[in-house]
Amino acid sequence: MPFREISAKMVQAEVTPGQRVFSQRGAMIAYKGEVSFTPNTRSGQGGVLSMIGRRVANEAAPLMTVEGSGQVWFGHGGHHVQVVELAGDTLYVEADRLLAFDGTLEQDTVFLGAQGGVRGVVRGQVTGQGLFTTSLRGTGGVAVMAHGGVLPLPVTPGRPVHVDPQAYVAHHGDVRNKLSTALGWRDMVGRGSGEAFQLELSGEGTVYVQASEEKL
Amino acid sequence: MFTLVAQFQLRGGKVLAVTLTGDTVKAKNGSMVAYDGRMAFKKLSGGGDGLRGMVTRRLTGEQMTVMEVKGEGTCYFADRASDLSLVRLDGETLHVESSNLLCAEGTLRTGTTFTGLRGASQGNGLFTTTVEGSGRAALMSDGQAVILRVTPGTPLQVDPGAYVAHTGGLRQELRGGVGFRTLLGEGSGEAFQIRFEGDGLVYVQPSERNTLGGDV
Repeated sequence: MPFREISAKMVQAEVTPGQRVFSQRGAMIAYKGEVSFTPNTRSGQGGVLSMIGRRVANEAAPLMTVEGSGQVWFGHGGHHVQVVELAGDTLYVEADRLLAFDGTLEQDTVFLGAQGGVRGVVRGQVTGQGLFTTSLRGTGGVAVMAHGGVLPLPVTPGRPVHVDPQAYVAHHGDVRNKLSTALGWRDMVGRGSGEAFQLELSGEGTVYVQASEEKL
Repeated sequence: MFTLVAQFQLRGGKVLAVTLTGDTVKAKNGSMVAYDGRMAFKKLSGGGDGLRGMVTRRLTGEQMTVMEVKGEGTCYFADRASDLSLVRLDGETLHVESSNLLCAEGTLRTGTTFTGLRGASQGNGLFTTTVEGSGRAALMSDGQAVILRVTPGTPLQVDPGAYVAHTGGLRQELRGGVGFRTLLGEGSGEAFQIRFEGDGLVYVQPSERNTLGGDV
């Protein structure tokens, strides 16, 4: 477990030889020891297909590889940072929200249309995620950024959670999501409650929500 | 016959969790970030209830767009990562800037009052929102709000841009300190203050809105 939250907005990562950490480019604040930072010019993981995917989707949050031995501190834009520990499951997160993650995690770009066809595409547009999102699978830590702190909400069978698409940060576990609409005549005449679109998450897992409706 | 009471709880200082059992709360339009259970959202219009409220709304432009949330489950509210404070009312009146009110129990009555020049100096227009009755309300502020006590004989002066809300029997007046220095462009930036006298509580935020008086 290389990540430790040292304040609400900064994380510390232990880097040891042979163990890599990927981070968003420019997110390093300070480091101790012998540490090198190499930009990932090619999308390091996920093969050619996901590389093309990333190019097309503009889901190319530039990453860098952090290697060596020492400690590195990460933070970005004064945003709140939350460390999510993965134990063999998959975390779905928007690439701009990724601050840093364990090098052992398998990174991939997911076409939202693959999870629910046209609805998935529409959902991506509404949430501002675009057509693609990033998935991380394996065992290790991920540092995720959000505006105003992150609230984890458990999703259990029979008790789905509805989330405002703009406040959605990430989710993991065996969670299915779909876009539900509560469009009524009020929305048509411009008297809506501002909650016309919601993401419905059902299954078993956790969804992370931020205390704001602003994108990063 | 038992009464339904909504449970208000803060999560991490920036997210409000409200547990509903069939009762209603009023919340700022679009401030829902997530919910579980069943919820219905309906837009109300601010300024008070009934025909009189409607007329006041038209005249005052106190545009607090409110939605009514009704259902069973837990609903989470947050807005732009603002810091939240809970206020408990026992029959008294809370005066609050409409931009600082996040959520109030459905049993509380909301209305609009005229504030005159003071309102204009706060950068919030000539009218302010009042909340009366018994129940809980959640206030938003830029930075955690501080509660200052006013007792007879110890009046309090507040920067109009930092004022959030007040309760109790308080008289307020706007004080101007425009001198020849201000006219020469050498003002201290504290040309106006609101003076509170009487017995009550004033909520102040550690930040200042853009106000008319802030420039002089």
